Amino acid sequence: MENEGRRRFLGVCVAGATAAAAVAAGYPVFRYLAPRAGQEGAAKLVIPAGELKEGDAKFFEFAGSSAVLIKTKSGELVALSAVCTHLGCIVQWVKEKQQFQCPCHGGQFSTDGTVLGGPPPRPLAKIPLTVTEGNITIG
Amino acid sequence: MLKRLYRWLDLRIGVGEIVEKELTGYLLPRNINEWYSLGSVLLIIFALQVVTGMLLMIYYVPDADKAFKSVTFIMNEVPFGWLIRLCHAVGSNMMVAVLILHMLSTLLMGSYKAPRELNWVTGFTLLALVQGVSLTGYLAPWSQLSFWATTVATNSASAVPVVGPYLVEFLRGGKLVGPPTLGRFFALHAAVLPVVIAAFIGAHLFLLKRTGISAPPFGREGTANPFEAQQYHYQGHPGGIPFFPNYVLQDLTSISIYFAVFLAVVFFWPGMPFTPDAFVPADPFKTPAHIKPEWYFLANYQTLKIFPSELLGLSVQAAAMTFLALLPFIDRSPERHPLKRPIFLTLVIAGILLWIALSVWGHLS
Ligand code: HEM
Repeated sequence: MENEGRRRFLGVCVAGATAAAAVAAGYPVFRYLAPRAGQEGAAKLVIPAGELKEGDAKFFEFAGSSAVLIKTKSGELVALSAVCTHLGCIVQWVKEKQQFQCPCHGGQFSTDGTVLGGPPPRPLAKIPLTVTEGNITIG
Repeated sequence: MLKRLYRWLDLRIGVGEIVEKELTGYLLPRNINEWYSLGSVLLIIFALQVVTGMLLMIYYVPDADKAFKSVTFIMNEVPFGWLIRLCHAVGSNMMVAVLILHMLSTLLMGSYKAPRELNWVTGFTLLALVQGVSLTGYLAPWSQLSFWATTVATNSASAVPVVGPYLVEFLRGGKLVGPPTLGRFFALHAAVLPVVIAAFIGAHLFLLKRTGISAPPFGREGTANPFEAQQYHYQGHPGGIPFFPNYVLQDLTSISIYFAVFLAVVFFWPGMPFTPDAFVPADPFKTPAHIKPEWYFLANYQTLKIFPSELLGLSVQAAAMTFLALLPFIDRSPERHPLKRPIFLTLVIAGILLWIALSVWGHLS
């Protein structure tokens, strides 16, 4: 009986020490592999308004992801996430139709991001923007 | 829970039978000693080198323009990058040290004798391969130290008659050490040599399985080798102690002691694998003063220097290495107890002292 207790105690000690060692080795490796914070790039971006003609789209990197700025035929400016809400491909601008088409599974989005057709479950996320003195500030 | 999993596996694939045959029923000589656990320590070290090497490869860039920067980035920016790199750099030094101890223990106990000649030969090849993997890895950080140590090391091949100069160029991938050298050395270091080493470790262990482990020559009446080359015979140890749990405990003890020493170096002597030149990016136009190889090449380095001609120095080393590699075929007496082999023991001690003396001399010169 006493032997049993000793065995159990030692078993718990060994298991505890092993677990501690596993954490001590695992934590540094996890941190080493984890994506580094603060690598997402600026969360604000300034684009000169003159860079974009009516009916055109401009793709850029924004907060670690892909985004697009469009100037509609009517001159309205819209910034959207360029990541298709279906499976994460990057939507392409179809200038003739003035809409977005996803090359992966044919999802279609209008200039304000609403789904026009295909499998995407949600509209493209809108990114706020302000225009001041010929500069477009995104974010 | 574990017991049920074990039973589940046993019912399906008969793990119990394997455990019975390879672990609890694998009997070792009763007088087995601690030195027999160094092989297991080496297996763990090798595994750790492979894992830390794979981790380093995530951030390391094998390009002469970027290598030094990427290593600095690992050391200063990546969380725990310093730890992974130090484990890899210190581990390589420790591996050579433990390798030498393992070799000396099998040497002194006469374990290399028949029928274990091939264990020795594969082991000796492993020593050479591990030295090779260290040498090629040394270039990877592309520091002044890497660059000039590699220049000196590859240059010694020029003493080979006739083909020497071409051999040097072939090793370097150009007239001088440069970006092409990094390409080939990195491929050797991270792809070719590890696979070859793993294969030789496999052969080493396979041979051990076929011959059976030797009994130490100590603490028993008969110390001579019982082997007679009549027919194949597995040397078992009836009445011996089981590998599991008895010797596994010894293996774990030795591994723990190893880790204590290893981690002490990593945390309290992190400069061990480096010299100041290791922190300066390679500059092909500026040779630093006093470039020295790593400690385990110091004896080779000094030997090259003391002979009047490089060819002579190289030949002496080649002869010594060949002699050691073929030792089991040269020294064929069956006696294994070192104290009953005074000439052998004297030569071994003299050899060790000579090696130490040459290394210290090389270090100080
Ligand atoms: C990566 C390097 C190596 C690994 C992983 C390794 C591994 C092992 C293992 C696990 C054993 C069985 C247990 C033991 O006796 O320790 C062993 C035995 C042996 N090793 Fe190694 N070894 C290596 C290098 C060497 C070297 C450099 C030599 C000598 C030149 C050598 C010579 C031997 C011999 C002769 C035995 C048989 C021992 C006996 O049966 O008593 N090994 N090795």
